Amino acid sequence: MLEDKDRIFTNLYGMHDRTLQGAKARGHWDGTAGLIEKGRDWIVDQMKASGLRGRGGAGFPTGLKWSFMPKESDGRPSYLVVNADESEPGTCKDREIMRHDPHTLIEGCLIASFAMGANTCYIYLRGEYIREREALQAAIDECYDAGLLGRNAAGSGWDFDLFLHHGAGAYICGEETALLESLEGKKGMPRMKPPFPAGAGLYGCPTTVNNVESIAVVPTVLRRGAEWFAGFGRPNNTGTKLFAISGHVENPCVVEEAMSISFEELIEKHCGGIRGGWDNLKAVIPGGSSVPCLPGKIMKDECIMDFDWLREQKSGLGTAAVIVMDNSTDIIKAIWRLAAFYKHESCGQCTPCREGTGWMMRVMDRLVKGEAEIEEIDMLLDVTKQVEGHTICALGDAAAWPIQGLVRHFRDEIEDRIRAKQTGKVSAVAAE
Amino acid sequence: MKDVVETTVTFSLDGDDVTVPEGTTIWEAAHGRGLVIPHLCHKPAPGYRPDGNCRACMVEVEGERTLVASCIRPAADDMVVKTDTERAEKSRKLVVELLVADQPETAHDVSSHFWDMAKANGVEGSRFPAIERTRVPLLDDSHVAMEVNLDACIHCNLCVRACRDVQVNDVIGMAGRGHDAKIVFDQDDPMGNSSCVACGECVQACPTGALLPATVQGDTKDYDREVESVCPYCGVGCQLSFKVKDDKILYVDGIDGPANENRLCVKGRFGFDYIDHAHRLTKPLIRREDAPAKGLNVDPANIHTHFREATWDEALDAAANGMKGRGREIAGFGSAKCSNEEAYLFQKMIRQGFGHNNVDHCTRLCHASSVAALMENVGSGAVTATFNEIENADVAIVIGANPTENHPVAATYFKQFAKRGGKLIVMDPRGQGLKRHASHMLQFKPGADVSMLNAIMHVIVEEGLYDQQYIEAFTENWDAMKEHLKGFPPEKMSEICGIEADVLRDVARTFAGAKAGMIFWGMGISQHIHGTDNSRCLISLALMTGQVGRPGSGLHPLRGQNNVQGASDAGLIPMFLPDYQSVTDDGVRSAFTDVWNSGDFSAEKGLTVVEIMHAIHDGDIKGMYVLGENPAMSDPDVEHARDALAKLDHLVVQDIFLTETANYADVILPSSAWAEKTGTVTNTNRQVQMGRPVVPPPGEAREDWWIEVELAKRLGLDWTYTHPSQVFAEMKLNMGSLDNITWDRLEQAAVTYPSLSPEDPGQPIVFGDGFPRPEGRARFTPANVIPPDEVPDAEYPFVLITGRQLEHWHTGSMTRRASVLDGLEPEANCSLHPKTLRALGVEPGEYVRLTTRRGSISVMARADRAVAEENVFIPFAYVEAAANILTNASLDPFGKIPEFKFSAVRVEKAEALAAE
Repeated sequence: MLEDKDRIFTNLYGMHDRTLQGAKARGHWDGTAGLIEKGRDWIVDQMKASGLRGRGGAGFPTGLKWSFMPKESDGRPSYLVVNADESEPGTCKDREIMRHDPHTLIEGCLIASFAMGANTCYIYLRGEYIREREALQAAIDECYDAGLLGRNAAGSGWDFDLFLHHGAGAYICGEETALLESLEGKKGMPRMKPPFPAGAGLYGCPTTVNNVESIAVVPTVLRRGAEWFAGFGRPNNTGTKLFAISGHVENPCVVEEAMSISFEELIEKHCGGIRGGWDNLKAVIPGGSSVPCLPGKIMKDECIMDFDWLREQKSGLGTAAVIVMDNSTDIIKAIWRLAAFYKHESCGQCTPCREGTGWMMRVMDRLVKGEAEIEEIDMLLDVTKQVEGHTICALGDAAAWPIQGLVRHFRDEIEDRIRAKQTGKVSAVAAE
Repeated sequence: MKDVVETTVTFSLDGDDVTVPEGTTIWEAAHGRGLVIPHLCHKPAPGYRPDGNCRACMVEVEGERTLVASCIRPAADDMVVKTDTERAEKSRKLVVELLVADQPETAHDVSSHFWDMAKANGVEGSRFPAIERTRVPLLDDSHVAMEVNLDACIHCNLCVRACRDVQVNDVIGMAGRGHDAKIVFDQDDPMGNSSCVACGECVQACPTGALLPATVQGDTKDYDREVESVCPYCGVGCQLSFKVKDDKILYVDGIDGPANENRLCVKGRFGFDYIDHAHRLTKPLIRREDAPAKGLNVDPANIHTHFREATWDEALDAAANGMKGRGREIAGFGSAKCSNEEAYLFQKMIRQGFGHNNVDHCTRLCHASSVAALMENVGSGAVTATFNEIENADVAIVIGANPTENHPVAATYFKQFAKRGGKLIVMDPRGQGLKRHASHMLQFKPGADVSMLNAIMHVIVEEGLYDQQYIEAFTENWDAMKEHLKGFPPEKMSEICGIEADVLRDVARTFAGAKAGMIFWGMGISQHIHGTDNSRCLISLALMTGQVGRPGSGLHPLRGQNNVQGASDAGLIPMFLPDYQSVTDDGVRSAFTDVWNSGDFSAEKGLTVVEIMHAIHDGDIKGMYVLGENPAMSDPDVEHARDALAKLDHLVVQDIFLTETANYADVILPSSAWAEKTGTVTNTNRQVQMGRPVVPPPGEAREDWWIEVELAKRLGLDWTYTHPSQVFAEMKLNMGSLDNITWDRLEQAAVTYPSLSPEDPGQPIVFGDGFPRPEGRARFTPANVIPPDEVPDAEYPFVLITGRQLEHWHTGSMTRRASVLDGLEPEANCSLHPKTLRALGVEPGEYVRLTTRRGSISVMARADRAVAEENVFIPFAYVEAAANILTNASLDPFGKIPEFKFSAVRVEKAEALAAE
């Protein structure tokens, strides 16, 4: 279990002073100018050495991503954009940072922006996060007043402005290029890639989009050293990580833990175990709604909560939003609900996603009721395979994967339900 | 072109190494090799950016996890692309299958691109359940010209790009999200109630039949033949393709002409059925002995009260006998709506047959003053650069022109220019349609052009923003100009023109600071008694800033009619023979009479349109031959003109309808509409294009050139032409502008004159190395502020401005008989500022009486904030409220153009019209 002394987010639950003063008392904003003084190359190298992988779901190495930004401007400014559009069902980790420990993020924005040559950073906040906006904006205002933002931010010599932009409630705006479109004032629709944001992002300028948590850990990583951070978790899966456990556990919570912790330990230590005991565990979605679910048995016996292990299981760590489902769950209906979500949130730009998500939901609808033919399961699987990897953004993948997970692990249950319905029908007809 | 080094990339496409210019997409590269990758949302046509949304063109790129939309992905070095893998094919097929599931049972267009692509993917039906019945979009037939069938919509976005990127009308949008995304017009209004201007670009772009011309029923390929020709309306000269079934035009598509690149406007696309109107003249007519006195008193639907049918021989004899040998008693009006060959024959007939130069046409009423100023100062009456050159400009002035209504396709290029970041400076007394796209909108006082332009030039001189090097190399009279401009400081001029001094200064700096600037103007400049002065100012402005003769720079008077450039070039002008060669030059005349094989005619400049009307009143002219003109509607102080026509003892009118002018005719010769004849036309860009017969003329109507030839024979002229190509060949003998342009070339493609070699498609920009004037120098001609002829006073307190509307053409003889156009804009109207209307106690839609010193009409009033207070704007297309009853016939002394754009008028609330 992660010891308290190794926690980055020391006010995750808002038990302590959230103000700048409180944050400073907990060690934030300590020697920020000194970190910046070491130069952008040092910062990027440290981030690479720390092994930090993006906390927004895709797990792309953060230091490497930063290194794609141009070293010299060709006349265009560079931007850092923080993706705080935390909307994935089950995911609720960034909000704890923003409302309780916002200075970790703000300090991270300054350092990361400097490391990428950006004098301006935007935080794009989920539309529904009203209180989070208030808390975060208050913290930003404090920093401006204290000279930590603005001209010569924190005495670093770097001019830096930080803007908080409130979204309007579309899930798709969490997709980085849709986010940029929305930030530019347009309808949130993903862009075609390439060009990637590092080449042409916000207003056509070099841009890096990072998750809140990825940025918020930066100051502490730099202060305590890349080796310290890299000391947690398995190789290639390093660091501490916020896990958000919801569903059928005794104590759902958001908790910072070391990467590669076992699922069992995570649940036992922090969540008070599975509701009704481990035998009652049916399935787990280990990384937010878009990753395929895994059966409870595998999760209990083998699961290592990190990027690589979960990928080997054809699932993913995603945002580490762990959704636990016990035997009372209608797993088909649970996945149907996700299909409904993705259908609702598809932006409608590209055909496979717009048509595919609607169609997948319609079929899921029938599977829930058992009013389908067995062959439709394969047709559904076939469609998910055609949607996956063929859409403009990853929403199509996100819509396809939960269904693939369902069919992979719970096909029997779907078939049973269809057969039960069919026999029911037959007998009903026979009775007439 | 040394500086353009084209870099290429080489990649592997289905196993072959392919080298293409950098930036070429995979789709384009494949297409160039004859491999058609299925595509739905991609339209390989100018102006349409790839969007990559339909995912029907997916291909596999080695090393990439996801498939790639080939339409939007540029090929890169060492890329390995496979189009025919199972994964790619399956994915493309699924896309089509998903879309087919939601298609209506009966396709709106069985020949649409979508069904072609379905076939190409081997998709006939769909395994998937159809969309819920309650969610099928309802049909929208609210528009008179187009059907909206969104049940067939595949959300490919092409109509949105058509409306926003290509035509820049910004009406169509994609509303909603995901499965509920839908095409909307404005705020989800029915199409017919939206701000749609019916250009029909979306209809042409739609790949599914979700947007269709209303005339198409179920199959866009259900036609017998298609004929490529040129639009009969404005001077833009759009090329189009007529789809013909049973000798009727079914619908029209734009094609890739040099001026229009597939684009059309509502007139060109939907205004074609006038040729089938019941009013078409199908037999030669002779005035009955017992006809009532001449007047505007013939019902075009029942002409037999005044005229009797005749054979061609009888009618031609009657027409010729009334004119033959009468010399100066006969004058002629030709037409800018006919071909170059017909215009040439017309002027030749008057000059050769009657020995004088009293031949003119409607250029007199539109750009005569522009041409006068251009001839005087630049040495050539045509544009120095095509309007498409705006693509290379960074600043452009549009003054006294309303291209969104009168040159809609040219306007699309202007709007695109502004969208790209070009600075569009609009100067107009009306806040017209381009205002929304303008960086500067100068809504100046009517008639104050010279003060405003001189003030702008004053700033350029004062602040030293002029191009000294250019002025020294290519101009003359600069010192006088400089001195003259001292008297026009913006601070002083702003009172006259109503534009603040700092705005004038900003405009001066903006235009003078342009890397490449263009100036466009229309009849707001030319139709004044100081029209020539207005144009002189614009020419001077371009010269002092060196904005002539380079890409993206130039002077461009937007020509009004489809062939006003060509008719003028062909010599349908009283002072000029073809190619603007002066009639006073003995050498010039003899060059022509040598070709014509006849004796000398008059060295005296002829009379112009309005002067001819005066000469009739004076009794000097007693007979006329009018071909396709309508002076009884188009002339200023039209009652005066109508009286003149009534006075004629012999009037021959050749037209397709019984026009207002034909009311006064003695002989009427039924001719062919543009879509029924062969001939060339020259557009505002100097592009010579071939017009082809689409359908045969109705009844006994004949092509105009044939009628001209037959008439000439009866006038005793030795004319033997049997085809327009022979006329064209004769024109070339004395028209240097047509060098290297042959009939055969024109059969293949449009050619811009001047063309420097038999292969040269023509020069879009001229005068880069000097002007066709002495020493190759253009001239600065200073202009002074002259007030309009008739300024408002207590009795006539408002200003009347005439003009046109998008849907109606010229005097309305064609467009008011085109069902779509008449349906869209059926009633005579005028526009006033809402404040002015309120002050008059008139509700929009009520009637006002407009009265000037010439006459009075009653017309429906609209509220329009674009019109300045105490101004009235009135289109002149409506015979029932003919604007030209009101207009002033005072002329510009150089161009002899009347002041259509300024009359003092009194406006009163009119009593409701008595029910008929």
